[in-house]
Amino acid sequence: MKINISRQHIYLLSILMFFLIFVLLFSFAVLIPEGKEYRENRAEFKKELKEVRRYQNFYDEVELKLKELQSENRHIITAFDATFDQRRFQKQHRDYFSSLKLSELEKVSNEDEFISYEVNTTSEISSPKSFYNFLDAVNKSDWIISVEFPINFKRDGEMIKSSFTMKVFCADSDKNSTKKVTE
Amino acid sequence: MKYSYIAPRKKSAFTTEVQLLVIFFSITLGMLFITYLFLIFKDYSFLSDMDDMSATQSELASSIEDMKEQIAFIEKENLLAQKVYTQNTVLKDSITNLFDLVPQRITLSEAKLLENGLVLYGITPNKDVYNFMLQAPLRSIFHETYSSFYPAQNGWLYFVSKNYVEDDISLPKEIEDED
Repeated sequence: MKINISRQHIYLLSILMFFLIFVLLFSFAVLIPEGKEYRENRAEFKKELKEVRRYQNFYDEVELKLKELQSENRHIITAFDATFDQRRFQKQHRDYFSSLKLSELEKVSNEDEFISYEVNTTSEISSPKSFYNFLDAVNKSDWIISVEFPINFKRDGEMIKSSFTMKVFCADSDKNSTKKVTE
Repeated sequence: MKYSYIAPRKKSAFTTEVQLLVIFFSITLGMLFITYLFLIFKDYSFLSDMDDMSATQSELASSIEDMKEQIAFIEKENLLAQKVYTQNTVLKDSITNLFDLVPQRITLSEAKLLENGLVLYGITPNKDVYNFMLQAPLRSIFHETYSSFYPAQNGWLYFVSKNYVEDDISLPKEIEDED
């Protein structure tokens, strides 16, 4: 039996086969590997995105905590960064004393992240109550100041002469702040 | 010589079937290429985004470290400030207690508050008043108490009372020098 196929059909079939082979080759050799790579990249991207979101959430938590701490301790932070000003200190606390004299600031230690300065104080008070009020006021002052031993009280007529040392604490400007303590 | 009365129609290789085939495969190939271009673009976009995200992640990590350091420092500041405030309050209470301790019949002329002790100078009508009204409470507070007396012009007694707690009962240098 002889199959009679026209030249026209052979021509048509050839074109069809050519296109079909091209489509298959393109799909298997190019498109499918590219698709695989796309899926891998997408999975990697999602993983990375999840990680970044985790970091972002942690960042938000830490930032919130920092802001809360900063607002809760605003006075303390400002006090540690504040420059100790003798004249301002005297002006703020002179109401508690009949006279108040401060010596020059002397740097005594540089521990960890804090610097402490000592200032010797001589004063006259009319009654011990003034000194108690002064100790209350020191805790609310613009600086972090501790009153140190020894403290001397000596009666002088109707007045009490007192002398004591104050320690002023500041944040180390080299490590934490740009501000410096000046005398 | 003519074999037909009609004119022969022109034959073309681009027949209707071929046209249909070409259109079909053109659409198919077009879609395949568009898909391929889309995948290439998305791959590039993923890689670029991942680079950005890596940079963001590094920045976030660095910022978190900075903030943690700031938190630790604020906590240190707070701790030190509270310690100082407590110390000042305790000092105030100690001085209040000291002055409350001194009875009205005894007059203090000088008081030295030391880290490990207390030195009082004053005048008392007699030793008994001093012993019962001042020395007794001082003894209950301090571990070592030394008292010395010398007469005043009005018949009363000047006294010096040195009181120390046990952790360091050796006399401070400045007091020793005075003695």
